[in-house]
Formats: sequence, structure tokens, C-alpha cells
Amino acid sequence: MSLAERTTRGRRVGRPLVIAVIALAIAAGFAFGLPAYIVFLATTVLVSMIALLGLGVVTGTAGMISLMQLTFAAVGAWVAEFLAINTPLGTMFGGFSFIFIMLIAGLAAAVLGLLVGLPALRLRGVNLAVLTLGVAAAADATFQKISFPDAWTNVRMPRPFDFPADPAGDRYYFLFTAVVTILICLGVYFLQSSRWGASWKSVAFSERGTASTGTSVRWAKLTAFSVSAFIGGISGVLLAAQISKVNFMTFLPINSLALYVLAIVAGAHLIDMALFGGILFVLVPEILKQFGVPLEWGNIVFAILGVQALTSNSNLGQDIRNSIFRRRRKRLGLGIAEKSLDTLEGGETIPIPIGTGRTLLTVRDVGVEFGAVKALQHVTLDVTEGSILGLIGPNGAGKSTFVDALTGFLPQHTGEFVLDGVPLQGKLVHQRAKLGLRRTYQQDRVPPTLTVGAFVNFVTNGQASEAEIDEVLDFFGCPTASTPISVVDVGTRRLVEVAANVAARPKLLVLDEPAAGLSHEEHIEFGQRLRLVPGKYGVTIIIIEHDLDLVRSVCSTITVLNFGQVLATGKQDEVLSDPEVLKAYMGETEML
Amino acid sequence: MAIIGALAAGLGAGGLYAVIGVCLVLMATLTRVINFSQVAVGVYAAFLAIRFVPLGVPPWGIVLIALIVGAAVSALLGWIIATWLPEATGTARSAVTVAGLLFFLSVSYLQFGTRPQALVPLVSGPLVSFGVVTITKLSLALILLAVALAVVSKLVLTKTPLGVQLRAISDRQTAAELIGINVKVLQIGVWAFTGAVMALAISFAGNSQAANAGVMVNLIIPGAAAALIGAFKRMDLAIIGGILLGGIQGLLTAIPSINLLRDWIPIIIIVIFLLWSQRKEVWDVAR
Repeated sequence: MSLAERTTRGRRVGRPLVIAVIALAIAAGFAFGLPAYIVFLATTVLVSMIALLGLGVVTGTAGMISLMQLTFAAVGAWVAEFLAINTPLGTMFGGFSFIFIMLIAGLAAAVLGLLVGLPALRLRGVNLAVLTLGVAAAADATFQKISFPDAWTNVRMPRPFDFPADPAGDRYYFLFTAVVTILICLGVYFLQSSRWGASWKSVAFSERGTASTGTSVRWAKLTAFSVSAFIGGISGVLLAAQISKVNFMTFLPINSLALYVLAIVAGAHLIDMALFGGILFVLVPEILKQFGVPLEWGNIVFAILGVQALTSNSNLGQDIRNSIFRRRRKRLGLGIAEKSLDTLEGGETIPIPIGTGRTLLTVRDVGVEFGAVKALQHVTLDVTEGSILGLIGPNGAGKSTFVDALTGFLPQHTGEFVLDGVPLQGKLVHQRAKLGLRRTYQQDRVPPTLTVGAFVNFVTNGQASEAEIDEVLDFFGCPTASTPISVVDVGTRRLVEVAANVAARPKLLVLDEPAAGLSHEEHIEFGQRLRLVPGKYGVTIIIIEHDLDLVRSVCSTITVLNFGQVLATGKQDEVLSDPEVLKAYMGETEML
Repeated sequence: MAIIGALAAGLGAGGLYAVIGVCLVLMATLTRVINFSQVAVGVYAAFLAIRFVPLGVPPWGIVLIALIVGAAVSALLGWIIATWLPEATGTARSAVTVAGLLFFLSVSYLQFGTRPQALVPLVSGPLVSFGVVTITKLSLALILLAVALAVVSKLVLTKTPLGVQLRAISDRQTAAELIGINVKVLQIGVWAFTGAVMALAISFAGNSQAANAGVMVNLIIPGAAAALIGAFKRMDLAIIGGILLGGIQGLLTAIPSINLLRDWIPIIIIVIFLLWSQRKEVWDVAR
């Protein structure tokens, strides 16, 4: 690891820690410097912030609608009260018992999150929203009936370290809550920038795209729900200990709705915005109370803000960040993040790679049927290691179906694929990706919420160093690693996708019309770079492309598909001069 | 016999679920919105209308006011969505209605307080009675409303020029716009229509179901369960689903030992049904 790398990595870990220490100092000042009532309110702000942070993970980052955040809080509060009041665990570890109980209660909420996450593997969007709202309503009814343990026994929920439930105790409790909040913020920050976080952002944008990077979609969704529920559960425990008597009214489903809308308005996946949301959640009703205005106006304000945020498809946090980013780029004199492919010196003289002669992929008698439609029949071909195979054919010939079958999206196909001696039968998409089989997409499947560098890091499963990432981005003429993908144009995103998958150094990379967004000159430049890829990165390539100039300039062998069958396969010049191929491509009348 | 009695007692609720379900199906197919605020709009309209009872407005006048208010506030939400999210995904459009639900519920609390409202059902009393088994007039009225709504909607959609335009919007919105159909006006019309129907249904059912606005809007959940049985596409299945759901809930009241489970029945039905119908939806997009 170079020195420069170490300092950037160090800064990435160090800065949040410094902010955490500053936040803790401010919290201590708050706890002992402000009036008791304000301190009590500030505790509620932090509790709301924690609930919003949890919601930010599942809704903001992973893009799944959850309308039950306070249900997780209620489960956390209920379990914590039960353990603290009805079991010996309440006093077993002295002042530290509370922390144990809090963690167990968080885990209990996480289990519920996992259970709700299971249907989310098949249910998306609105269906998931109906489901979470339904669970929230059912849980609400249940809590009404069984009530909270403090109501059965009339014992109050104890606070950590036996802080009393008086103004002095409130100050210590605020500090405790601040410490927990800061720890959760750090946890969320590091999770967001970890592989888990990248997988959440990726799954929010495209499940297929996520799976083909070797990440299990199932895992990404379940971790998002569980982490979110765990954090929600913690917020419930803290709330229960703060107000020491809770009931179902504390966790009404309508407040979950308000929290969801607030998460959308503020952009709760961003930590500062979760704090802002927490302040809004507490301050708006508090101001209304001071002026004698009914509290319902608070929810009306949230609802109107929510409609505004949803209809303009934006949130405050992202808007602020985007405008700062734009201003900085302007100051540095950069335009939009566009970089064209420069001329590669000596590019024309790079030979077309012919490979090592060893067969990397064998395809035997592969067929795919969609009902009565035979999309692929008896497809048999070999791909030589270190070569570039061109897969061409008219629209509807079955090229993309072939790629889908090869990469695992069509498990019902017949025949067999063998990659480097390993049969792919029965392997899931992400398992095939892990075996060294990667693909890119015709559609834009690059999550715009990541930076270019974070995306490459995610696609390579963290295997490439920062220097390697910079090198491959530069090689393909992509924007620098720190550029947010949201400012990159769609054509260049395709190049970023290709660069990232090359950086992952798979054995076999399937490029599905990678140059569709590029100009003709860029096609040629792209082709020259592609010719270098097998030798430079050790990656064998199958390329689907309509531009025959590009195919001619990079492929040593070509397979032509027509009506789902192999029309011709073999050396480039032989295939391209085959009269059958010309007929399929040009049509018979053109031949006359 | 007691069990059949309990089953019959659930029919009233079932009829209401069916009406909500049919409204949700209409909204989903014609405007690409799963309308979370569907019930809240009806509740708000019905609660507002009964403010006019002390002024001596006759019952039909009260219902008329509820219909107008329901249509108007629903159209307002529809106008917002049709204006600012014309091309957005169904999910984004539906998310706005979550904010709408929050809005209408809060406005209801604000205007009418959190106490139960004196919303008297339009029809009441038993229709027929065999021993402990009683079918109320209200059950029949609500079920008839749901069936009538489905039949009329089906007839309009299949037999009239308006229906052809609505189906065109439903299938291919952009193509419909290109041939000169006024998508926005028609979609807002659908919003107004379902808002009025919901106001009518809530006026019919009255407060026999629940207490304040907050409890009443929870009806959206069994209503959505009914619509889901029809996959948000088929009104007939939504009606059957709604009635079944109400019947099952009624049945469960006869078994006090599973009191807690009763609240979970709609959601469990939703989950099982959705998982079954979406079992092949392994990926988010078809390709």
C-alpha cells in the first residue's frame, strides 16, 4: 500500500472519529449547560434521529418502502421492559444490565426485521409498503391488547446506571443517549461505506446488476432490514427508559408514516440529515405547543413537505450535497463529468488477441424456451482463453437470452455450460460471478448513489487496490474515482461498468453492447483498448455488438446467432464472408 | 350454528372491505396508484358531512355533501400526482398517497377531534334472521354496493367510448396521450369517482366499524388485502376476497382464545397470497 493510499484511507476512518469526539464534547456541554426541559427535548431529538437512521438504511439506502419503523421501536421497548422488569437480567450486571438488555431488545427487533425482510425477497415497491403497513397495524392492535410490562406491574422502566428519573438524572441520561447515538452514527457511517452499504445502494437501483457483481440480493435485502430494525429497536428502548412509561400510543402507526415521510423529505440515509429530521420531528410539534396550535398541524406540515419531496424526486440532504459538489467543481473549473477516450498511442498496431489455445468456456446444446417460443436451440460453441469472441446476429436472434442463460438468470435452460472445468448447472447468479463470470448490461445498471470509485470497489468485491482502480478508470477514459455517478452521462456510465468489471479480473467477461452510447471515433478507441484487455488484465471476453467495425477490429472468432440457432461460428474472416451470414444480416434483396 | 352466526356477522365488514378493494383495483388499473389515502378520504368526507346534521340538512343531503367532499379532496390529490408525477413509476406515485393519508388523517383529527364520531349508518337492523344467524341490511347494502360498483365499472370500461379511453390510458399511457386522449382529466376523474364512492361507503357503514378517524383509516389494510386477492387487477376477485376476509374475521370472534391472532389474519392472508402470486418474481425487472 502506497503512502498516498494510506493517508486517504486513514482520513476516511479518522474524520468520522474526530467528528464523533467533537459531537460528544458538544453533547456534554448540552447536558450540563442547558435548562432541564431543553435537555429532555434534546434526548427525544436523539431518539427520533436513531429511528430515522434505521429507516434511512432500509428506505433511503436500500430503496425499500418500510412503513413500520416504530413497530420495531415498540418491539424493542417491549422486550427491554420485559427483561428489565420481569427477569433477573434487570439487575444481573448492575449498571451495565441496561446495555445488555438494550442489545438483546435490538436483536429481538432485528429478528422481526428479518421476518419482514423475507417476503421482501419477492415483494417490491407498493406491495412491500402494504405489507409493512399491515404488520404495523396488526402489531399496534396486539400491543393495545397485551399492553407494556410497565403497565402490568406498575414498575417503571429503569435507566442505565440507575440514573434517577428526575431533572438531574435526565442530564446523565441525555449524555448516555448521546453516546449511543454517536456509536450508531459511526456504525451506520462505516456500514454505508462498506460492502454492505454498497450492496444496499446497488440493490436499490438494480437487483440483476447487484447479483452479477457476485453479491447475493437476498443477503443485501435481509441485512438492510435487520440493521434497520435493530437500530429501530434501540430507539424504542431508549425512548422507554427516557419517559419510563410507554404504551401503544407512543408507537402509533401514523407516527411511523410521519417518520417515513420525514425520512424522504430529509434524506435520512445521510447522518446529518437524520439529525435534522430528528430535530424537525421534535421541534415542529414543540413550537406548535408553545403557540397553543394543535399538534396535528405538525403531521400536516410533514405531509405537505413529503408531497413536495416526492413530486420533485429530491431530498434536502442530497440537494445540499449536490449544490456543494457543483459549486466546488465550478470553482475548480471542471465541467460536467465527461471525459472522452483519448487517442491511444500506437493503438492501430495492437494485434487482435488470439488466445492461449486452451478452451475456457464450453457451451453444449444449450436451449431456452419461453412457453411456445424457442429463444435458443442447440447452441454449441467454445471460447478460447485470452481471446475475444464476437456474438452477433440480427435483433431477436437470442444474443441477450444466451447471456442471461450463461450468467444464471435463466436456470430453466437445457444443455450445459462449463467454465474452466466447472459445470455451471445449478449455480446462482452471484455464485457464477464469484467463479469468475461477469457481465455488463445493455441497460444502465450503475447505481447513481455511489461514486465511480465506490462502484468499482463494489464490483471488484474489494479485490482491487485504489491504485489499480485509478489505473483501470484512466485506461478506459472514465471520470476519476471521487466523481459521483449521478453526474456522469449514461454513455460514460457504460464505460465505467466495463472498467469496473475488467478491474474485477474475471476469467470471462460478457459485454452486452458496451459501446452503444459512444460516438464512432470513440468506438475505434474503445476497440483498441479492448484488444489490450486479455493480455493486460487476463480477462477473456465475449462481446455482443451491432457495430461490425468494432467487432471486426477486436474479435478473432465470431459466432452468429439467428432465430436462436448458431448460424456460423469460427474465424472472423471466414464467418463474415459466409453467404448465409450476409443473407441474415443484409436481407436477401440486398444480396441480389 | 353460533359459528355460522359469527360468520354472518362478519359480512358487514366484508362488504366494506370489498368496496374498498374494488376502489383500489380501479385506482391501480386506471391511474397506476395504490391509493393508501383511499379510506382516509372517505372518512374525512363523511365526518365533514355530519357537521351539517345540526343545521337541519336531511340525510340524503348529508350523503350528497359527503359525496361532493370525497370527490373533491380525492381529485385534489389526483391532480397533484397527475401534474407532477405524470410519468413516474407506480411506486413513486403511490408514495405520495402515504403523505396524503398522513395529511387527511391529521386534518380529520384537527377538525373533528380524536373522539368517536356520531356517524349513524344509513341502513341498520336485521334483514333476515334464522335463530342466531342474522344477516343485516347493512351487510347486504355494502355487498350490493361493491357488486354494483364492479358491474357498472366493467360496463363503462368495456361498452362505452369513455371506457375505451380509460383502458387505453391504463395499458399505454404515452400512446394514449399521443392519440389525443386527455390523460390528466380522465385520471383526475377516476380519483374523484373513487373518492365519492368511498365517501358513500363510509356514510353507509357509519361508525359501526370503529371509533375515530385514526382507527377507521386502518380499514385500508383489509381493503388492500381484498384488492390483492384480485392482484390489484380483478374486481370480482377483490369482492370475493373482501367478503371472505370479513367472514373469517367474524368467525374468529367466535373463538376468543385466539383473540390476538385475529388482528394478524388480514396481513397473513396478504403475505401468503402475495408470496404465492409473486413466487416467480425473482428479479426486479424482466430483463
